[in-house]
Amino acid sequence: MMCSHAKESMAAGWQREITADEESALRQHLETCPECSAEMAALGGLWDRLADLPAPEPSHALHARWQSTIESLAPSLKPVSRISPLRNWPANLFANFWPASPVWQAAIALGCLLIGLLIGTNLPRRNREIAQLHEEIASTREMVALSLLQQQSATERLRGVDYTGHLQTMEPQVVSALTDAVAHDPSVNVRLAAIDALSKASGKPGVLQSLTQSLPGEDSPMVQAALVDYLVEAHDRKALGALRQLAAQPDLNPAVLERTHFALQQLSR
Amino acid sequence: MDIASHDTDHDRMAAVARGDLSGMNEIYRNRHRPLFRFFYRLTNRQATAEDLVHEVFLRMIRYRHTYQAQVGQAQETDRDPPHAFEAWMYRIARNAMADHSRKHRNEIAPGEGELESIASARPTPFETAAKRQDLSLLHRALRELPEDRRELLILARFQGLSYERIGQILGCQAGTVKGRVFRAMKELGSIYSDLCREKAS
Repeated sequence: MMCSHAKESMAAGWQREITADEESALRQHLETCPECSAEMAALGGLWDRLADLPAPEPSHALHARWQSTIESLAPSLKPVSRISPLRNWPANLFANFWPASPVWQAAIALGCLLIGLLIGTNLPRRNREIAQLHEEIASTREMVALSLLQQQSATERLRGVDYTGHLQTMEPQVVSALTDAVAHDPSVNVRLAAIDALSKASGKPGVLQSLTQSLPGEDSPMVQAALVDYLVEAHDRKALGALRQLAAQPDLNPAVLERTHFALQQLSR
Repeated sequence: MDIASHDTDHDRMAAVARGDLSGMNEIYRNRHRPLFRFFYRLTNRQATAEDLVHEVFLRMIRYRHTYQAQVGQAQETDRDPPHAFEAWMYRIARNAMADHSRKHRNEIAPGEGELESIASARPTPFETAAKRQDLSLLHRALRELPEDRRELLILARFQGLSYERIGQILGCQAGTVKGRVFRAMKELGSIYSDLCREKAS
């Protein structure tokens, strides 16, 4: 056995990846080579002592941050299969009650409709009050979302972005706050969540233009990729210039470059 | 981490890549701690290591569509798809680390105090002061090792990865990894001896 091969065998031995034949050959070599033998003794001992170094632990803040991110990025992440049958009893009850026959299903639906009409025609005043209440709730939600988006804490701003998802309609000031977050928020997570939240507002005036303007100044590869995806999905041909500018950046992340080329192909069609 | 959990994380990530994101929390639970230790031992900073762990999981979600393609490539060469997840995850982790290093290349390296505090954390009744001092020197030697060699030793010694798996992550043969690990250990031994001499004098 040559010394160079013996060194590889030593490394294999430290990791317990050495075969019996290799081990026997190494032993024979060590008996005749004092240099390798000394290295084996010194470095083998050091390898063992490395295991005594304490293992650092992440803080609870990391877990909280992950939970917050996962909830804001993908509300659908909550696994349906983990809901216990006990917690899911209202749905089970309804499933057991609901008849299999389409005739009965139609009859129940018609009955519900008639009851609804009867209540609706007899309570017009109350309906107006309910509509007013709905408006007030929507307005309050909008205020809460806008207020959260102004907070110093990134977690609070993420909550603000998440809150905009509960709004039935996206008012111009909310859209403006979200596009502003994409352009200027220091947190990558908030910028990503804001892009996702704007997915239902791509038709609103100024959204595509604002996101296109954010693209050249963006330095996070993840946010760059998200913006590129957004512009492709919106099929915004006006973004071609900004995409070309992005693709020409010398230190662009390879994955983002690949997506940008794909976007240029899609939008040039 | 045993083979069974590799299997399930591979399956979960394959499902995530197909659009079913429900397994992402379980992957996080299984993998955030080893990833944190990987980054901590590279950066010696708690907050930075946590930022990087978070970044890796975000990238997993963002680039989930690339998982199947990369597993397919791994299957062609490796025939061991369950481990493909681990190699894919560490490739993402290395990219995140490289991006971080590029952005913060002018920052001053972390002080010794943080490392010392780790080396002396939670001493067991069997640990003597001399042993703690020895560990502290070993920790310092590891920190002074150039980043590529340190990363290699972290993957091999602390992350529990085989040489074949490390080869997949680094894009080289297992034999090459063994040679590099030996050289990295020799360099670590040399730094450690110098520190011991310095301490003794």
